[in-house]
Amino acid sequence: MDRRTYLRSLAAGTGVGAAVGTAGCLGVLGDSGAEGAVLGPPEQDLSEAVHPSYGDEMPEFTVPDPITGEEVSTGQFEGDRAFLWTSFYTNCPKGVCPALILRLRRAQEYAAEQGYGDRAAFLPLTFDPQRDTAEALREYAGQQGVDLDAGNWHFLRPESYEAGKELMMDNFGLKIEKTDPDQYETEYTFPHYGLILLVNEQGIVERAYPGGTNTDIEALVDDFDRVITA
Amino acid sequence: MRRRHLLAGIASVGALGGAGAVATGNVPAAPGGDAPEPVDPVTLDTVDAPGSRDGEVTLPALDRPTFIDFFATWCKPCIEQMPDLVEAHDRLGDEVLFVSVTPEDVGGAVSEETVADWWTEHDGDWLVAADVTAELAARLNVGGYPSARAVDATGRVRWATSGTHTTEEFVEGIETALDR
Repeated sequence: MDRRTYLRSLAAGTGVGAAVGTAGCLGVLGDSGAEGAVLGPPEQDLSEAVHPSYGDEMPEFTVPDPITGEEVSTGQFEGDRAFLWTSFYTNCPKGVCPALILRLRRAQEYAAEQGYGDRAAFLPLTFDPQRDTAEALREYAGQQGVDLDAGNWHFLRPESYEAGKELMMDNFGLKIEKTDPDQYETEYTFPHYGLILLVNEQGIVERAYPGGTNTDIEALVDDFDRVITA
Repeated sequence: MRRRHLLAGIASVGALGGAGAVATGNVPAAPGGDAPEPVDPVTLDTVDAPGSRDGEVTLPALDRPTFIDFFATWCKPCIEQMPDLVEAHDRLGDEVLFVSVTPEDVGGAVSEETVADWWTEHDGDWLVAADVTAELAARLNVGGYPSARAVDATGRVRWATSGTHTTEEFVEGIETALDR
């Protein structure tokens, strides 16, 4: 991946990568961690996946948070907060999206319990801005038990369906396409790849969880905790 | 905080490596054999509704099998399967702790009345609990709603499923957690 090559050259240029490598501590248990990563390599190597994965730089993009009215950039958290990113839409049938949101929401709850909510952020991106208005997202947050008052949860809502579709393809290699509703009651649906990304405060992807709905919640929260408290 | 400052300087990177080693050493114990590990119980508040009461419940139960239905008042398929849960409860309600759990913020964004009204409307007649911190959902790794778990008397999950089910499927699933 370009991103990775870029990162390597960047690391070589600054000496950061080499310093991590020669520190040796990460290698004690046979792991050699990626430059800038807190966690060791994941059990499942996803480096060939189209989406960003372990050790990659998180793509940088800016999208409005319709509830707070802010423009939120994935880059603004650098040096400040680790975050969990996913994509969803509120009309998602069969509970896939509630399962993704549950994973972020549980991490949000855990962060609050641990007292580090101000070092974490949660960035679920909707690719259905047409239906996912500020009002719809606010109601959804209430249903899903999300704490909007914590100040660390930002729903990201692209300006248009086309903008969201482009964002998903350009940054994550994921194709978004409206399909006929068939058996579902909603007007239209999106075949949806339930990806969750855990990104450290340096903007490096620590984990990509591809099967979002099956992702073990406690393992995810544990990874998140290790990244934040490292 | 400390790490943030350290990261700003190249000289500090050794400290990052150290932190990584500590984290990597914290490996969870490998599960032995095929038997699942017992689930650590969580105590939840219960909701005053038909068949339920205002109080607390510890899930899974420590001394008998438990059947947990994860539902939510916004979940349409959860409504569809209520008649089958009612029937399964009629048949096995005496043999397990039979409970429905919502992950909603009951008492916050969602009032207790909303849950009780939903419950009454759909003929629920057993214990309803609120998992407001999603801790139980996390321990039982819920993926979507509805989901169900049948847990044996030793706290081990014997049946884990998501989506709607028939009465027969519920009964069969729950029976896997009995006599263990």
